[in-house]
Amino acid sequence: MNDMKTPDMNTPDKADVAKTDVAKADVTKASVTKDTVATGTGTGTGTGTGTGAADAAGEAQPVFGVRNLWKVFGSKADTVPGNAEYAGLSQAELRTRTGCTAAVRDVSFDVHKGEVFVVMGLSGSGKSTLVRCLTRLIEPTSGTLEIDGEDVLAMDKNRLRELRRHRAAMVFQHFGLLPHRSVLDNVAYGLEIQGMPKAERRERAAAMVAKVGLEGLEGRRPGQLSGGQQQRVGLARALAADPEVLLFDEPFSALDPLIRRDMQEEVIRLHSEEGRTMVFITHDLSEALRVGDRIALMRDGEIVQLGTPEEIVGAPADDYVRDFVRDVPREQVLTVRTAMKPGACDASEHPDALAPTAVVSDAIESVARSGRAACVVEDGRCLGQVDQSALLRVVAGLDREEVAA
Amino acid sequence: MSAVVTPNPPSTQTEVAKEPARAGARSALSHPVARRLLPLAVAVVVLAPLAAVLWGSGSWPHALTVDIKTPLDDAYNWTVRNRDTNPVFLYGLLHLSNWADSSVSSVTDLLENLGWFPVITITVLLSWRIGGLRDRRGLKLAGVTFAAFAVCGLLGMWQSTMETLALMLVAVVVSAVVGALLGLGAGLSDRFERILRPFLDTMQIMPAFAYLLPLVVVFDIGVPSALIATIIYAAPPMARLTALGLRGADPGVMEAAASLGTSPVQRLLTARLPLARKEILLGLNQTIMMSLSMVTIASVIGAGGLGEEVFQALSTVDVGKALAAGIPIVLLAVWFDRLTSVAGDRLGAGAAPAGLRWLHGWRAWTVSAVSAAALSVAGWMMFIADWPDTWNVDIASPVNNAVDWFTSHMASGVPVLGGTRTWADNFTLWILDPLRTGLTDSPWWLLVLLAAVLAFLAGGWSACLTAALAMAGIGVFGVWNHSLDTLSQAIAGVVVTLVLGFAIGIVAARVSWIERALRPVLDTMQTLPQFIYLIPVVAMFNVGRSAAVAAAVLYALPAVVRITTQGLRQVDGATMEAARSMGASTFQQIRQVQLPLARPALMLALNQGVVLVLAMVIVGGLVGSGALGYDVVYGLEKSQLGTGMTAGIAIVLLGLVLDRTTQRTGKRSAAR
Amino acid sequence: MKMNRKNVLRVTTAAAVALGITGLSACGAAKTNSGGSGSGSGTVTLSVQSWVGAEADVAVAKYVLEHDLNTKVKTTQLDEGVSFDALNTGKADAIMEDWGGSPKKVSLYVDDKKTVVKGGDLGVTGHIGWFVPKYLADKHPDITNYKNLNKYASLFKTAESGSKGQLLEGSPSYTTNDKALIKNLKLNYKTVFAGSEAAQITQLKEDYKAKKPFLTYWYTPQWLNSQMDLVEVKLPPYTKGCDSDAQKVACGYAQTPLQKYLSADFVKKNKKAATFLKNFKWTNDDQNEVAAMIAAQKMSPDKAAEKWVKAHQDVVKAWLPK
Repeated sequence: MNDMKTPDMNTPDKADVAKTDVAKADVTKASVTKDTVATGTGTGTGTGTGTGAADAAGEAQPVFGVRNLWKVFGSKADTVPGNAEYAGLSQAELRTRTGCTAAVRDVSFDVHKGEVFVVMGLSGSGKSTLVRCLTRLIEPTSGTLEIDGEDVLAMDKNRLRELRRHRAAMVFQHFGLLPHRSVLDNVAYGLEIQGMPKAERRERAAAMVAKVGLEGLEGRRPGQLSGGQQQRVGLARALAADPEVLLFDEPFSALDPLIRRDMQEEVIRLHSEEGRTMVFITHDLSEALRVGDRIALMRDGEIVQLGTPEEIVGAPADDYVRDFVRDVPREQVLTVRTAMKPGACDASEHPDALAPTAVVSDAIESVARSGRAACVVEDGRCLGQVDQSALLRVVAGLDREEVAA
Repeated sequence: MSAVVTPNPPSTQTEVAKEPARAGARSALSHPVARRLLPLAVAVVVLAPLAAVLWGSGSWPHALTVDIKTPLDDAYNWTVRNRDTNPVFLYGLLHLSNWADSSVSSVTDLLENLGWFPVITITVLLSWRIGGLRDRRGLKLAGVTFAAFAVCGLLGMWQSTMETLALMLVAVVVSAVVGALLGLGAGLSDRFERILRPFLDTMQIMPAFAYLLPLVVVFDIGVPSALIATIIYAAPPMARLTALGLRGADPGVMEAAASLGTSPVQRLLTARLPLARKEILLGLNQTIMMSLSMVTIASVIGAGGLGEEVFQALSTVDVGKALAAGIPIVLLAVWFDRLTSVAGDRLGAGAAPAGLRWLHGWRAWTVSAVSAAALSVAGWMMFIADWPDTWNVDIASPVNNAVDWFTSHMASGVPVLGGTRTWADNFTLWILDPLRTGLTDSPWWLLVLLAAVLAFLAGGWSACLTAALAMAGIGVFGVWNHSLDTLSQAIAGVVVTLVLGFAIGIVAARVSWIERALRPVLDTMQTLPQFIYLIPVVAMFNVGRSAAVAAAVLYALPAVVRITTQGLRQVDGATMEAARSMGASTFQQIRQVQLPLARPALMLALNQGVVLVLAMVIVGGLVGSGALGYDVVYGLEKSQLGTGMTAGIAIVLLGLVLDRTTQRTGKRSAAR
Repeated sequence: MKMNRKNVLRVTTAAAVALGITGLSACGAAKTNSGGSGSGSGTVTLSVQSWVGAEADVAVAKYVLEHDLNTKVKTTQLDEGVSFDALNTGKADAIMEDWGGSPKKVSLYVDDKKTVVKGGDLGVTGHIGWFVPKYLADKHPDITNYKNLNKYASLFKTAESGSKGQLLEGSPSYTTNDKALIKNLKLNYKTVFAGSEAAQITQLKEDYKAKKPFLTYWYTPQWLNSQMDLVEVKLPPYTKGCDSDAQKVACGYAQTPLQKYLSADFVKKNKKAATFLKNFKWTNDDQNEVAAMIAAQKMSPDKAAEKWVKAHQDVVKAWLPK
């Protein structure tokens, strides 16, 4: 998996990563769209557009493997999961029948190494509960949960603590910083918990503080920082333990729009630099599309659709998802792979060749400039070509029926 | 019960349906109350005639009383005879008592041997450090400290101040530790909290004097009793606030800590406890204030120090000297209050270390400690340990003259109004007497019922049960009439307190210079030992119940004024602005916006007023209130445990009744 | 979360219990006798009652002990009844002026437990009675006999006494039979307790200043008597034993020779000081002189004692142990 990704990371595009969103979308997508086949069995499974990479993904071990996970709140919580009687009920009906609330209902998915897996949904959809179940901050009611093949639910207290200390670190919506500690000591907190000597952990924390761009503020208290700065501290704290997975719980929802964008780019940058696996919770569709390699869309505790941003936007699984993505500028999400007419190119030379992962808006620019159809080339092989009408169909949304069909 | 019937809305005609709906909404106001009262009403209809037939309808039936005086007196006599030989005392309590004695006397000796100059130096530098060495607040705090201690010396109270300080320090340390441990338990365990809560609630309404008598029985008169009474009195706020702080720890931060893989102990030490620092510090502040007031009261059982000075001055009817002993108490309170609040502010702000390094952290402590030691030694060599008498300033005679002049001019001979003594007589004749007669003449079951209903309306079933049982308990213990006498005084006191308190509070909330001027006066009134009011009150209102009510009002007024002012001030600015924009007059603003919105605060003021008035019942006994207050004083002074304890219990029961009938429980007010 | 909390609690409780057990096992039986003579080498603790006469006794005794016997003296403010408890436990060493208000305690400690011993007469004779101001007695000469009191009941009416005349009582710690007396002498009066001597004196002073009529429980020697001219109301004469049944008392109060009491332990340990205290004896006038200095002239007790002792060296010399 990793070696598959590395070449992508080294593409020329990589140099100006994060300069513009579009460029970024390009790169990350380039690195992961290959393994977009949804191995999950969510209610609405995305229509995979994956190519050969799919098989590779299937073989590799997922970082998180989640199967039939339930979290039910209430006194009779145990009776709900797997009970056919309650299966079709809405949340409200379930509550009147049993007095229980099912925050997570029969959810299954895999998170692959190196990807940014986004869980998106409106408030109350169960996404925050879901991410907490991953490290058992909230104890799941039933189901199976594995990290690197190890059963999380079977872990004893010490093993679980090890998991939280070294393998999965979390960034919170409201930061969760200790107000009485300086920035440096907050970042070092996780290391202190692990019992690392003071000098060493401070050195490491200082490096993390620098990494998230907070040099010079080490001595401040959280109360003296802006929201964005506080979240950088939260990020640095999570990074300090060098975890295998980063879990983000709506990390930027409490921030101003401009700062939010900065922080998103920060995450994208970190991801491209380190390739760390991330699970990212958000209620903001544009954020999901921007950072996510794959998106699981949740509603009432269930996954409605799981797929790449392109799949979600291009092929909504049902009316709810369609409604959700209606206002998304499609040309910035859909790639030329979707828009192109498959087939050979007219010429053997491809002066204005586009990568299949390029988004439509880039293709429009290119096509408009040259005034003729452009070829879509991958690994020196021509996959097809896009012309003005094909691109316009995407913008107009005329491709939708086709894909859906 | 007729309101329970609601018409069925017609199902077909929608226009008509509106009207019954509105009627339904209107009746819904009385509806839930009526329905909730229904079971109570049924019980009454069944039980009241039964009770009346069985035991009559006058004062509490004799058949239903239990004599607890005799067993209490027996217990007392047994204790006195066996205190020296019984193993429980010999192996347990006596250790405690000896420990109390030796710890207090060692601290006293330390302070006295140190001498006044080093003590002042050390406290000033310590305060400065706590306030921050390069902070303006630190300097200000150091100034306050210096002034406070210097005045204590100048008033000729240095030694007494040190005695009080020593007793207080020991009491504060122990109560803080005990309170923090209890708070820790209550903060971490729900079950422990459920067990502790009723105790803390009862402690809060327990008048300080009520602790003294049983302690005297066990520990005899003297420092141990005083110390232990102080600890018992001062520990609850620490426990309460520690628990509150621990429970209120930001769940987000706690979750973040958990997500990093903290063990429970790590989570407690690195996150939950530090997060609760502000509350814990506030608890410490409360503990200090309460122990200071108790240390003064405990002079009745031989605590010594400033309280004894006050007491002794009173025996020669020397208000001036009593005041000279009271002022150091106020100053100590001011100092401790400032110290803890500045420390709290600094904890919260967490100033970024900047500037000179040696003015921060442990270096600053070292700097403070070393310079304090150096200065102390220097001062110690130059001055003698005792405060030089020649520096003393006599405030007694001018104060006495002023008080004399004031009381004699106010007491009688004020044109038209007649003077305070006439008012007092009229107050007794036209308010206290009818109230007392009304209460004592009411059938006993009616009063129990009344307490139950009022408590039910205020706090639901559990409050109702508590109030009814407490009221019945008063009768069962055979102090029905005395309790009703005291109750009549308490009710009158509360009403006067509230009328005055609300009036002053409303004015102070609107006119900020009045509030500013009032603040120091209120602070002083709250911290002065209650005894100081004795003489002026008697001089102005004659010995009797009016004087007792006046003393209670004086004591309870500051808190009521403060809560009222704060409550009114905190009324949402936007709402007030909206009212003003609609052209509401000042009166309309107060009546229609501020008062309704400040209702929770006003209810709290009522509750506090009740608790504080009741706390003064025993002091009232010292100015002729008779009834329970006199009984407790009698019990204390004559070592009559039976009478004193029974009266003390009755006061606590009265307190429970009044508290439950005036306190909206947390849950219900939170639901609003 | 909850599980974790519980664990912490368990650990804390265990630690607390362990600590408690070690604490308990470390100590055996405690020794009594803290404070008082036990605490320091020869420090004498004198119990002071709330009235000024007692304060005068103690002030003079303290002055002499400190200046002539080189003994450190501590004073502690204790009421009459509890003073005996303090002597019993050794928290105080001596009571200088007992009015006989706690016969039960005297029999318990002096006769039964023998932890307290008699210290002899103070020399001062105390007397309790009912008093009216002189200006009132001048106006109604026959008011000074209890038989005529009912005639004047309306003069003494107050808000507290209602339709009856008010007999002002003092602190609850004082010895009084007045309730029974009123009943048995069929007087139309009611006792109103001031609750403390301070309140009573304040009331008397204010009334005296305004020349109002009042009837009060009062006693001699009392420093206030030098500022106020009071006349005693004659009650049926005291005969021995007439006050033995508290419910049936119908006689006035006895002339009480005030007593000193000492802690037995103290007498054993500090013979010199104990002998001095036993010898201490002075007159009503002497005590009034010092008391007036303290109360009326607002002198500090130490200063007042100094002044008196310097003027009465011969009296003091007789007290000192040979």
